Amino acid sequence: MNPRHRFRPAALTAALLTILTVAVPAAAQAAPTVYAAASLRESFPEIDRRPTYNFAGSNQLQLQIERGAPADVFASASPTEAQALFRAGRCTRPVTFATNLLVLLVPNANPGNVRSVYSLRSGGRRLAVGSPGVPIGAYTRRLLSRLRLTSILRTNRVSNESNVAGVVSKVALGSADAGFTYVTDGRIAADRVNSIRIPRWAQPPVRYQICAVRRPGADTAGARAFIARVRATRGRQILRRAGFGLPPRG
Amino acid sequence: MASSHTRARRTGFTALLALCLGVTLAFLAIPIVALFVEVPLGDVPDLLRDPAVRDALEVTARTNAIANFVILAFGTPAAYFLATRRFPGRALVITLIELPLVLPPAVAGIGLLAAFGAGGLFGDELAGSGIVLPFTEWAVVLAVTFVASPFYVRQAISAFESVDGTLTDAARTLGAGPSRTFLRVALPLAAGGLVAGWVLAFARGIGEFGATIVFAGNVRGETQTVTLAIYEQLESNFDIALAISILLVVLSGTILLSYKLLSSWRRSSSTSPSLFAHTGSSSA
Repeated sequence: MNPRHRFRPAALTAALLTILTVAVPAAAQAAPTVYAAASLRESFPEIDRRPTYNFAGSNQLQLQIERGAPADVFASASPTEAQALFRAGRCTRPVTFATNLLVLLVPNANPGNVRSVYSLRSGGRRLAVGSPGVPIGAYTRRLLSRLRLTSILRTNRVSNESNVAGVVSKVALGSADAGFTYVTDGRIAADRVNSIRIPRWAQPPVRYQICAVRRPGADTAGARAFIARVRATRGRQILRRAGFGLPPRG
Repeated sequence: MASSHTRARRTGFTALLALCLGVTLAFLAIPIVALFVEVPLGDVPDLLRDPAVRDALEVTARTNAIANFVILAFGTPAAYFLATRRFPGRALVITLIELPLVLPPAVAGIGLLAAFGAGGLFGDELAGSGIVLPFTEWAVVLAVTFVASPFYVRQAISAFESVDGTLTDAARTLGAGPSRTFLRVALPLAAGGLVAGWVLAFARGIGEFGATIVFAGNVRGETQTVTLAIYEQLESNFDIALAISILLVVLSGTILLSYKLLSSWRRSSSTSPSLFAHTGSSSA
């Protein structure tokens, strides 16, 4: 019999331990973890590509941070989520760093023959919108009530997406005849979709707010540096080029 | 001395095994237990009365009923064919049928989108004939059928294969045609295995999420199944999401239990080949 045989359990344990050690992620790098609204998915990495990003619906991110997710920066597509975290003492006072407008996206081929928001009044089309809890969904519903078009959410077949990127992909892949997104999303997917403008007077004010997350072990310095980059001249240029509006400098 | 040494080593080894079992068990059981701890069980029926939950349950029931019917109607003859005929490329065919088992559901969804979505492979033809699948219940049916059918077909093949060949041969010798042999001999003998396979496919269909959300969208009352409802309620009403989860745990537990009962019933009641052949060497 092989004399080594008796050491097998030990060897097995050692092997398991090695696998565990290797599998545990390397120590965090010196860049903050940024939780940001899905509509910032192109602009933020352009401003700074070092942070670890988590793009999703702002409400989903807020929930994750409340449950102790290791975020250092939170950027939400509406003040609601950032202010809620601030009131709970979970982040610094949020500042507005960008604004946005809503548009109606249609696939290039425009199978639903949608010419304006009012085309949706006839009903029977497939429509992608944000679910009520996510900022784009709340903005969309506010917009529709200003346009007196809330009925289109009943007369059309409506898919509720958990964030604005979901709305964009449903339209870009032709699953939906139209979808409400931000003007910046129309630019991101410009090769597959067309944006139909929506009258200014009906636009709800869309404000993006950013704050540094307060939690034990947060990279506060890294978070502050990132926020400063977003609000600096270069950050503002990148946001403007992507189609965002900018608040007055302050 | 030496023997006590050996015994100590053996006890040590058993302790190590038991420790690993304990870790495995705790890891797998804790999330399930946590679901029941997080929300008062008395509230669950009330939470499940939410109209969104009722819609999701109805959609799930309707789509899965159709999908399971399709799976049984097409899967059973297909499995019988594969179990009883040998032909070149058979292994490849079986591999293709089994592929959705290991395919990530999101990939399945994108595949369905590329095939039947607008602008997909058959999207224009379908649209031309007035059939638009995305955002409809039929899209859910397609997604469920795609991901769940391999569970049934795979099991059905082995159920038909384990039917004792001497019995079907006897039926043929006694003058039964091939279709009669299939219906009156092979089907009843394989029934236990077929039901067991169907139970697995059913469970997979109820749990389907990835392909549905990619291909069918999240339309309340049309494509929002219970799993999609959990995903949506997670962000608006965590308690409802928990209540649906508890319902699904109970359902899955029931499914698994019935599968186990069926399997043991099948083992004890299946016809033993040794009754007919003394060697008992008929192919397994």
